[in-house]
Amino acid sequence: MTRPPTTTSLRRRNVLSLLAVSATALTSGCIRRLRTITGWQPSDQISLEIKTVSADSDPYALRIANQVAEWLRTAGIDSNVTPMSNEELLRQVLLKHEFDLFVARTPLRIKRPGALYSLLHSKFAPASGWQNPFGYANLNVDGLLKTQRTVSGKRRQKAISQLQQTVATNQPFTPIALADDIRAVRSDRYTNWRRRDLHSSLSYLAVERVDADERDESAPTPPEELGVVMNDTRLTTNLNPLSVEFRCSDDLTELLYDSLGYSPDPKTVAPWLANSWKFSKDSSKLLATVEIPANVTWHDGTPLTAEDVAFTYAFLSDTTLGSGIEDDTDDDTTAVPVPRFHGRSDRVSTVRVIDPQTLEFRFGECHPQAAKRAFTVPILPKHIWNHRTNPSSIGGIEVGTATEALVTKNIPPIGSGPLMFAKNDPQRSVSFDTFDDHFLTHTDKPELPDELANGPAFDRLAVRAVGSDVAAVEMVASGEADVTGTAVGAGKVPRIGRKSVLDLIVDRSTSLYMVGYNVRQSPLTNARIRNTIAQLIDKRYLIEDVLDGYAQPAVSPLTGTEWLPAGLKWNGTDPVTPFLGTDGELNVQKAQEAFQAAGYQFDDGKLVRK
Amino acid sequence: MNLMEIFSEVVVVVSVLLPMALLFVVGPSRLWTALSDLRPKLKEAAPGFMALGIVLGINSIARDTGNNLSWIVGVNITGFIHRLEGQFVANLQSMATPTLTSYFSAIYVFGYTFLLVFPLFAYLLHDDTQPLYETVAAYIINYSVGLVCYIAFVAYGPRNLIPELVKPLLYINWPHSQLLTSEVNTNTNVFPSLHTSMSVTVALLSYRFRDIYRRWVPIAWMLAISVAISTMYLGIHWLTDVVVGTVLAVISVVLAARFGDRLRRGMNRVTNDWIGDRAVAYVRRWLQND
Repeated sequence: MTRPPTTTSLRRRNVLSLLAVSATALTSGCIRRLRTITGWQPSDQISLEIKTVSADSDPYALRIANQVAEWLRTAGIDSNVTPMSNEELLRQVLLKHEFDLFVARTPLRIKRPGALYSLLHSKFAPASGWQNPFGYANLNVDGLLKTQRTVSGKRRQKAISQLQQTVATNQPFTPIALADDIRAVRSDRYTNWRRRDLHSSLSYLAVERVDADERDESAPTPPEELGVVMNDTRLTTNLNPLSVEFRCSDDLTELLYDSLGYSPDPKTVAPWLANSWKFSKDSSKLLATVEIPANVTWHDGTPLTAEDVAFTYAFLSDTTLGSGIEDDTDDDTTAVPVPRFHGRSDRVSTVRVIDPQTLEFRFGECHPQAAKRAFTVPILPKHIWNHRTNPSSIGGIEVGTATEALVTKNIPPIGSGPLMFAKNDPQRSVSFDTFDDHFLTHTDKPELPDELANGPAFDRLAVRAVGSDVAAVEMVASGEADVTGTAVGAGKVPRIGRKSVLDLIVDRSTSLYMVGYNVRQSPLTNARIRNTIAQLIDKRYLIEDVLDGYAQPAVSPLTGTEWLPAGLKWNGTDPVTPFLGTDGELNVQKAQEAFQAAGYQFDDGKLVRK
Repeated sequence: MNLMEIFSEVVVVVSVLLPMALLFVVGPSRLWTALSDLRPKLKEAAPGFMALGIVLGINSIARDTGNNLSWIVGVNITGFIHRLEGQFVANLQSMATPTLTSYFSAIYVFGYTFLLVFPLFAYLLHDDTQPLYETVAAYIINYSVGLVCYIAFVAYGPRNLIPELVKPLLYINWPHSQLLTSEVNTNTNVFPSLHTSMSVTVALLSYRFRDIYRRWVPIAWMLAISVAISTMYLGIHWLTDVVVGTVLAVISVVLAARFGDRLRRGMNRVTNDWIGDRAVAYVRRWLQND
């Protein structure tokens, strides 16, 4: 087969001319010119991806994300939303730090200024978990965070106000709203649902059983069983209290593991497992002597002693139990702390066993009120967790940076809490029996409120996982469960209202929805850009349109607490980053001006880098 | 109502529909002749059912592993699909009426199950096992390609990406059905739509073997089209999933036509010469020892 001659010559000519051009380029100053031109980056449109959970997993997050993406697009930023599962979002955001923006519900309502320390201090920027996931570093903020930990009274109040003002202007994250916690319960088998906030697992201990003759015997679940239905499968596959991505706010692992103290309200920490604690000072260092009761055992029958408590604190600050851990954790560069409790455990310098029932805690620089917070971490059995110190490569964390302790699914879990593991069926269900040897059954704790001191009113707590909040409400309605263990969306309120067997429980403003920014990467490194993006978000519109009014707008993470300064109070609009538009309609002109003032340009309505 | 009750509801509905449909499609006289001489046919068809059972078994075991693997190696294409097709599903759902919702919910759960089960019975009753083996082969191809796609891609359906526009009509209308669907698949496996590909496969095969069961052709097509629409109407699948599902159906039928016969010979050889002999020997030995 022969080609027509014209094609051949054309090709040859093309090759020759290409060679000629290349030769000229090489010999002349063309390369230098090319180099100069490449210094001027082509003006690409700025593109931001928003990661969040799917609509099945959370009633509001995805709709908030879609609306924010819509506003960003209107302002000329290319933006799209990527939905994922709960644990995958936490893995990508909290462990890998692979995100531009994320929309999520914080695991716990931030009610104390102390909680901001681990959320915003720059020393936690490289850490995993809910410790500064944004990568935010502001020396001014670091200083204020330290001050509020060490001083008290007026000076502390002032530092906290200043701190919130700075954060509200700098916007490492945009607090959107404090959403109400809506649940469906039925009261024909168990009552007293309203005694405690259901957001805390301890509330399940306060529930009371209805007398046998008044019970609905036609119900499908056995009378001694409390049925909980969740639209979250995480608890059925993983019961590791140290896991970052598998734990959420409605977490029952708190009932599997006792802690020395518990929080009856945001301001106080009262003894739980501990009999008592006494604070003292030794050459300016804070000390505490903690007594724990005798005859406490783990679920497997092994005695729980002071040795386990001391082990827990050493282990939480370094799960490798590397050298020097007992003396000074800061010098140990190979330490792998537990992200979930780092903010609490890092207040403790050392824990010394005095006798099997007595411990001496030595704290870093902090106020006794802040120090007590460290007593709320779960106490772990030494005989099980000291085998989990070896490095592991599973679970989304890179090889060598995690220990087995952080990635194990921990089934069956051995704790000392009022509930012990019974059985699980991954993705579907998990159940727990009451632990007969729990300290509540044989120790007199007069300081505990009655509803908690009496222990659980059920013999078994059965958790079932379903695909969505609608299904969860229906399970309670049909009697297969007594309560929705995770909050449902406001859209389900009419459905709950229509069913006479269901009661509606609304706990006001329990969790914070936020838009988090990855401050580590351009253009979000720029505080002014973040501040401008925050002004593209109409919080009031989101609350009306997405949350159906079941929320209050948030300006600061401490909105709704006494710590909020007057300057950050919501006054019909956001006092720091007011929406650039009205009723959800973005004023494009104003938005463009704001970005131009931040040093960015528009090309055909698209926001580009200069 | 728990999972078992919903499952048995599906079983009851399908087993009521099945004999009625067989009577209508196969016809009383042919049905009678076939049933009276069922034993040799069952023997010839058993390896095919076994192959299908093995693939479904592997699929259900691999699904959980595949889902975890998918989050590690898979590409999240949800946003891409949405940008590709826009608000098609939302527009489709804007035509929703209570009657249509009930119809498509029933089609999605009962109609689909019936559509898949019917050919296995109907072709079993036919003299020649070729249609049966082609059906089994096409099902296997659908499931296998589906599994690979589910690992390679993470994709949520419209109800999970644009909930402000697309409602999960099936689950709002009938919340307990979610217990069943979440047993069958996870919400990240929407690309491609296996509901569509399997249904269209059945419809295509009904046309291919139209000379055997002429009355089955319109029923199969009507059901298949309804299933394809229902997946979108109910907010579960994107148009893209349905289109790719249809393409998968065509490919699977073409491949099945080519390799269905090979599957029959292969499976027969395996069962007769290998598993058959061994199983017989094993049972015999077990009986002797006991």
